[in-house]
Amino acid sequence: MKIILAGGHLEADFIINEFKKSNHQITIINPDIDFAKYLSAHHDLPVFAGDPTKIYVLEDAQIHEADVFIALSENDTDNYIMSVTAKNLFDVKKVVCLVRNPNNVQVFKSLGIDRVINATNYLVQNIHNDAAIQQLSRTISLDDDDKIIVVEIQVQSTFSFLNQFIKDIHFPTNINISCVFRDPLPIIPKGDTMIKEGDKLLIVTTPVEKDKVVRFFEKNS
Amino acid sequence: MKRNKFVVIGCGRFGGQVATERSEEGMQVIVVDAHEDSFRKLHETFAGYTEVGDATQLEVLKRALIEEAEYVLISTNRDNFNILIAHICDQIFQVPKIYIRLMDSEKEKLINKERIQAIYPYKLSLDSFRNLFQSDVEDRS
Repeated sequence: MKIILAGGHLEADFIINEFKKSNHQITIINPDIDFAKYLSAHHDLPVFAGDPTKIYVLEDAQIHEADVFIALSENDTDNYIMSVTAKNLFDVKKVVCLVRNPNNVQVFKSLGIDRVINATNYLVQNIHNDAAIQQLSRTISLDDDDKIIVVEIQVQSTFSFLNQFIKDIHFPTNINISCVFRDPLPIIPKGDTMIKEGDKLLIVTTPVEKDKVVRFFEKNS
Repeated sequence: MKRNKFVVIGCGRFGGQVATERSEEGMQVIVVDAHEDSFRKLHETFAGYTEVGDATQLEVLKRALIEEAEYVLISTNRDNFNILIAHICDQIFQVPKIYIRLMDSEKEKLINKERIQAIYPYKLSLDSFRNLFQSDVEDRS
């Protein structure tokens, strides 16, 4: 895949290092000439020094061949302009636009940019998800000393292991799904039981392991 | 809702003068600029409202009654801002008449010319120069 990274400093450097391990073809555009020189010296990649909100700069970087365009500059408006140019004038299939102001996520999406990413928004969503899992799980103690407990988890449509067999899901150790509540009758699961949306899982575990179990479901939701 | 307002975004010499003239004609005018200082460019006959803020933010535009605007003139000093604001006024607020100032005429490819009308200082200067030069050349011959 040909990927164009436009603008950005630390973000650009980080993403380049991540992508270099894969065999994607990366092109860089950066309006900061010193930083463009730095990138050019540190990475063996085509680097164009120029303003990526200018149509001719994007043309120089062969944008019409790009599969993915990523707008990374520090200015939300500039990121919008380069994203809209990539999408509307050059038909780039996948355009990703980074924004600093969380309000701009919804605005840019409604103006036709498919992927708008914001750190604050991401953080809030994560907290919501965590909170949701906390609400979805319930702990029942089986004996008076709390040596063994049952954690109850409601399976959501967002879970990553939906419609997978239990044997294929990499659960943490010391987890035992004892029962799957599903209409019409509860199931005593085996490895070839498939996890479905709406299932309620009863997991027998120890109080020490409980946090690990909840964290596992948080991570996969 | 009745659309009868004239909103000016970017109160430079040009935006300020357009706002003043429309106000003198009796229209209800709202001027938006990121800096309070800019409103000094409005003439004392200006009888409209001013709103300080970043006009790429929907809240700021709503405070400037964009939802009641029949006309909007977008004349900040940055093309990229002007285009984003024009797209917002067109696609989100459906303002019927949108005028935008663009320094870089190549950027006109980003606007839908049926709905957004652009003013190019570069083209106007060039036309103006050609006329001046033409008459000088004719005078000599």
